[in-house]
Amino acid sequence: MRDQSPPAPTTAGPAARPAPAPRWARWFVSAFLALFVVCGVAGLEAWPLTGWRLFADARQARQPGFQAVTVDRAGRETPIPFRDLPVGYHGDVQVLKSFGGLPRDRQAAVCQAWAEAVRTRGGEVAEVRIYQTLTDVSRRVGDRGAPPARTRRYTCRPGSPDAGG
Amino acid sequence: MPAAEAAVRRVEGWLFAPGDPRRLATVRIGLGGLLAIRLASGPYAELATQPAALFRPISFLRLLDRMPSPEAVAALQALALAAAVLATVGLLTRVTLPVAWVAALPLVAMTSSLGKVVHNDVLLLLCLVPLLPSRAGAAWSLDARQRPAAGPGPLFGWPVRTAMVVVAGAYCFTGLAKLLHAGPAWVTSGNLRWVLYASSDAQPQPNPFALFVADRPLLAHLVAAATLAVELGFPLVLWRPRLAWLFVPAVLAMHAGIGLAMHLDYWPMAATVLVVMVDWPALADRVAPVLVEERR
Repeated sequence: MRDQSPPAPTTAGPAARPAPAPRWARWFVSAFLALFVVCGVAGLEAWPLTGWRLFADARQARQPGFQAVTVDRAGRETPIPFRDLPVGYHGDVQVLKSFGGLPRDRQAAVCQAWAEAVRTRGGEVAEVRIYQTLTDVSRRVGDRGAPPARTRRYTCRPGSPDAGG
Repeated sequence: MPAAEAAVRRVEGWLFAPGDPRRLATVRIGLGGLLAIRLASGPYAELATQPAALFRPISFLRLLDRMPSPEAVAALQALALAAAVLATVGLLTRVTLPVAWVAALPLVAMTSSLGKVVHNDVLLLLCLVPLLPSRAGAAWSLDARQRPAAGPGPLFGWPVRTAMVVVAGAYCFTGLAKLLHAGPAWVTSGNLRWVLYASSDAQPQPNPFALFVADRPLLAHLVAAATLAVELGFPLVLWRPRLAWLFVPAVLAMHAGIGLAMHLDYWPMAATVLVVMVDWPALADRVAPVLVEERR
């Protein structure tokens, strides 16, 4: 796992030494590493350069979040199974987090997209509800966490004129 | 500032010292092959059908209002994959490697356009950057069969060492981000326990590995401290190459642990570390005579 060993010392004079790395390579490496280091140290996202924020925040036991559910005509709620939907739907955590800040037509479009995906799987969707949750992961019930406290934040009826949240 | 100047010169001397074209070739083959596998198995066609309302673009994909069309994605994927395979075998390397990288970029960006940066392939892409303008096809390639064998020289050292700096920096900055955003609480608080409980609760079945650590506060603190130490200490490998025997397995163990406990698959990052940080030709030179001796 070692890096290349330095070349063995020789008795030859300077003329026998290999030429140094070309000037363009020095500029190229310097510029690339400078950008890489600036983004890394300052936490900047200039993808593919990145601030490398992987699990960077300290989590608390009480964790706020969101839950999206579909409601059928009988009023039964079913959590949207995002993990079972195509990969394009897997950004649910981030979409839910920013849902409140979206314009009403974008909120309606998001609800519509989720409802369509659930209907494609044979589900019945009269309404989509979004709950704000507060989960205390330190409260354990066997191997599982205690159910979160929920507050309904948004309701949308996909396909109807008041579709937005 | 003679001390700073001397330090810069030392770094420059190390970075641009002569290198073995075989080592550069192993990095080209390893990273090129890894890119080809990722391009062949990535969820790009599925992402292309994402409803526009769910599109959360990153970087240059902000120029679009939805994911690229399935037709564009299929064409790009075919081009990137073909170029990556050709670069791996070393055919027209100075053209095929940059083409593979440029064509892969929007595809990989799609995977990070769901609202969260996915770091899985970022390390691979960044480690390939120094290889793009280099003579990565000078050895162990189809290109090299038409030329006399290249010996060690200044053209072959800097691409590999720049990639090594990127790997070391990636882990160090990951640790630094934890210190800057969470401080010592990342280790001293219940942080890791809560992360693991939340991850286990989000999985269809309780995760025994996550719960084993989360149920034992002292063990959770130790794992958190070890994680931070490995991440922040990784650049020591550049200063003392022998420390790779400690840090590379530690990083692999860390990714394996994350995979077991959280079901987060970081294998492309782990594979990139193995390809870049291990001097495979030197290892082969050491092991081969021993094997030959044993056969006698």
